Amino acid sequence: MRTFHRLLLESAAVLWLAALPASAATYYVTVAGLGGEPEYEQRFAAWAQEIDKYVKAGAARVVTLHGPDATRDRVRAALEAVARDAGPQDAFVLMLIGHGTYDNVEYKFNLPGPDISGGELATLLDRIRARQLIVNMTSASGACLELWSKPNRVVITATKSGTEKNATLFARFWVEALREPAADTDKNETVSAAEAFRYAEQKTAKFYESQKRLATEHARMEGDAASSFIVARFGQASAALNDPAKRQLLERREQLEQKIDELKLQKAAMPSAEYRKQLTALLVELAKTQAELDK
Amino acid sequence: MKRAAALLLISCGLFAQQRPQQGSATGPAAQAEAFWRQERYQEANNAFRIAVEREPQNADLRVRWGRLFLERFNKAEAAKLFEEALELQPNHAGALLGLALVAADGFDMRAVQLAEKACAADPNLVEARELLARLALEDGDTQKAIDHADKALAISPEALDAMAVRAAIDFLNDRESSPWMDRILKINPRYGEAYATVGRFFILNRRYEEGIRFYQKAVEIQPRLWSAHSELGINLMRLAQDDAARRHLVLAYENGYRNSATVNTLRLLDSYKNFVFLKSQDVILKLDRKEAEPLRPYIEAELRRAMRTYEKKYGLKLDRPVQVELYPNHEDFAVRTLGMPGLGALGVAFGYVVAMDSPSARKPGSFHWASTLWHEMSHVYVLAATKHRVPRWFTEGLSVHEETAVSPDWGDRLSPPIIAAIRDKKLLPVSQLDRGFVRPSYPDQVIVSYFQAGRLCDYIAKTWGEQKLVEMIRGFAELKSTPQVIRDTLGIEPEELDKRFFAAVEAETKKTVDGFKQWQEGMRRLNAAAEAGNHDAVIAQGPALRDLFPEFVEQGCAYELIAAAHLAKGDKPAAIAELTRYSKAGGRNPATIKQLATLLEEAGRGAEAAAALERLIYIAPLDEELHTRLGNLWLAQGNAEGAIREFTTVIALKPLDLAASHYNLARAWKAAANHDRAMEALLQALEAAPGYKPAQKMLLELTQ
Repeated sequence: MRTFHRLLLESAAVLWLAALPASAATYYVTVAGLGGEPEYEQRFAAWAQEIDKYVKAGAARVVTLHGPDATRDRVRAALEAVARDAGPQDAFVLMLIGHGTYDNVEYKFNLPGPDISGGELATLLDRIRARQLIVNMTSASGACLELWSKPNRVVITATKSGTEKNATLFARFWVEALREPAADTDKNETVSAAEAFRYAEQKTAKFYESQKRLATEHARMEGDAASSFIVARFGQASAALNDPAKRQLLERREQLEQKIDELKLQKAAMPSAEYRKQLTALLVELAKTQAELDK
Repeated sequence: MKRAAALLLISCGLFAQQRPQQGSATGPAAQAEAFWRQERYQEANNAFRIAVEREPQNADLRVRWGRLFLERFNKAEAAKLFEEALELQPNHAGALLGLALVAADGFDMRAVQLAEKACAADPNLVEARELLARLALEDGDTQKAIDHADKALAISPEALDAMAVRAAIDFLNDRESSPWMDRILKINPRYGEAYATVGRFFILNRRYEEGIRFYQKAVEIQPRLWSAHSELGINLMRLAQDDAARRHLVLAYENGYRNSATVNTLRLLDSYKNFVFLKSQDVILKLDRKEAEPLRPYIEAELRRAMRTYEKKYGLKLDRPVQVELYPNHEDFAVRTLGMPGLGALGVAFGYVVAMDSPSARKPGSFHWASTLWHEMSHVYVLAATKHRVPRWFTEGLSVHEETAVSPDWGDRLSPPIIAAIRDKKLLPVSQLDRGFVRPSYPDQVIVSYFQAGRLCDYIAKTWGEQKLVEMIRGFAELKSTPQVIRDTLGIEPEELDKRFFAAVEAETKKTVDGFKQWQEGMRRLNAAAEAGNHDAVIAQGPALRDLFPEFVEQGCAYELIAAAHLAKGDKPAAIAELTRYSKAGGRNPATIKQLATLLEEAGRGAEAAAALERLIYIAPLDEELHTRLGNLWLAQGNAEGAIREFTTVIALKPLDLAASHYNLARAWKAAANHDRAMEALLQALEAAPGYKPAQKMLLELTQ
């Protein structure tokens, strides 16, 4: 957990990291593909740059490609470098922004010069030993869902299939989730990939609904470890995490959180007054413990 | 049965005379007619196809085939066949009549012209005369309707549909019985069409309960009159009698009467399982389950406010609960209203039942739901006060008047089609204004008529006082005509009212009407300057253009461009002033109004920021961010009650960030000094997120 703690200490701003085992490193590759027209070029590049800013604040290993730099060769080189450097204890996050196409046979991520296919990306990703979070936010990205799904990998796509071919909005809301405290629904001051997905998915759906437009994208997520990928951290992280004097309090907090979780599981089977009484007692205790930790 | 056979020939007009002369009695044309009589429509269609293939030059055949299509709900194919017949035989009376019937079905002005042409082509064409009688009565021209009906009867003394029009006139004039109906039933005791015709006219005059009674009589004497079952079902549904409506619609459907209205209405009835009925003593709200919880408080409060206002103003208390239905899918509302999608309206009142678009049915910013609700509720009171005997222009005009009476920024604004109508002197005399609603003669005439009727009521209220409008309601309740009501209430002739009103409207809109072209050109330049980032030019030229057409608050309006230019130059106070003007003029773009609120908040003008956002509740009430912001502003202003309402709505909207939403509500309850409710909300926040630090702090405060 050393790496984890070190990153926490650096989280004066929003930090990017993954919950990793000891000595683990996190590798990020973010690619904004070909826009096709100035409006999209600017938009895709801006999102990639925003992600880059957050990622670099976490002092992780970062490659961000956009504009003329985002070529097939550069993408290949970035992924090959991660395959070379990252071990099984590490984490890898790939984020793809832009336009994708699907001809009922093959998905292609549109890049300046030759495109890169879903199959080619799959081969490159399979060479990476680190556990992976792949977020493909392009049109037609759903075509990759089955192709890329495998154990130890979470795959998020902006569309449910390759046939959803219109330009997507999912990326806009994914980036928003990284800076928006409302995305942190359990209020633990971090945003997991699962939370970011839910935020972006709901915001995208609401956008289409409120604008009275037919929804042309339906995001999907495969893999069961999305909650373990911490993709953003808000506010000042607790210094207590690194303070041996407060270890007991931390343990106490963990126990209380566990008891609350257990109590919540019993809610349906308990008289509501009793549930409320027990919940209040545990929450008060937890609040007091946290207050001690924050001193 | 003999009579019935004779009737068939009569009710087909004089088509017997126009039927194909060629071919044997067993040929495909004869077979088609036989299949048709036996309600074997598909076989009839096939036989007509063969007949037409064999005799491609026979116009009569095409007309008969077209009539089959018309009867079986396919107007487009019918019209095509009538047109083809006219190409083969220009001036073919049957083809002209067919096209007139198609046009009449869509309330198209050309119906009268075409029917007249048909009469000219064949002066003995009874059905064309009957159609002209029907069209005249639809236009409210009773005398003309009588004249046409009598001409039809002069040709054929047993013209049952002509007699039905005469009977309808009697019943519409509150006669208990009609000698014309007696004559019809003597000729054919099972001619339910006659009652259905009467029912149709009652419905057109928005006298739904009476219309339903006539449709019921129609199906009593002619149980297989499926069209009447369908109409009966649709109108029962309009009065919220859904079970009875379904019975008749299913009956019609199962017996092959599957026109779009029947099918659509049955589908809509099936979707009612997705709605909830929220009943109280005087109000029933029918809302979609998904949005009932967040919308109810606002709709109910506004509905009661409208009812209190109208009760006092019109001196009338409704004698039964009013049902208000909100449809999140506009096409469902359209089907609810007409049985068909594609309706341009926002709301409709069927007596004590109001159906309207839900705020979620339209893009945020394009619909002011409260304005529509007040509009429809005015109809409810006026229809009740007059027992539905009120001309269309007056009830619509009064409803439009009431919208802006609530608040000047409500209601619809002067728009380019209205400016063009004023410029081209297309406003109608008051005695003919109903026609602008019922049978418009140009595409935007309905919109123009709403505007004209509304402004006329404004003018009457301004010149003679609001009370005169109430007196006019009473006049119409006494079954007086528009001219009579104007004479009795205002003491002038309708022509004089027209003269004065037209002069007033022209004076009021002169600047905009005269400068409209200049404004259009100027706005093109202004938008180009804004796009080029030429802020000084926008600031210099914008105000004059804005003042030339101050009611234009749509996307890309001068207000928004000027405010953006001021902001680009860092002049926030000027931007606030411009956006305040925009809001007062009725601007409804949620993003622009939120921007105004942000600027006001930044300037430390929290109360004004809250007021700006509160306007948005009438425009985009399902916006979570709006309610959160407003709740926080109310809390900062010390308005705990307002904050409780807003944060409660946020929770009803099922937000992603449930913990923060409950915590906000806890803050509001705490501000209202309600410890128990604050604790309740707080526990919900912490149950969702036990480690939520601000909530933990409050918990410690509340439990100390």
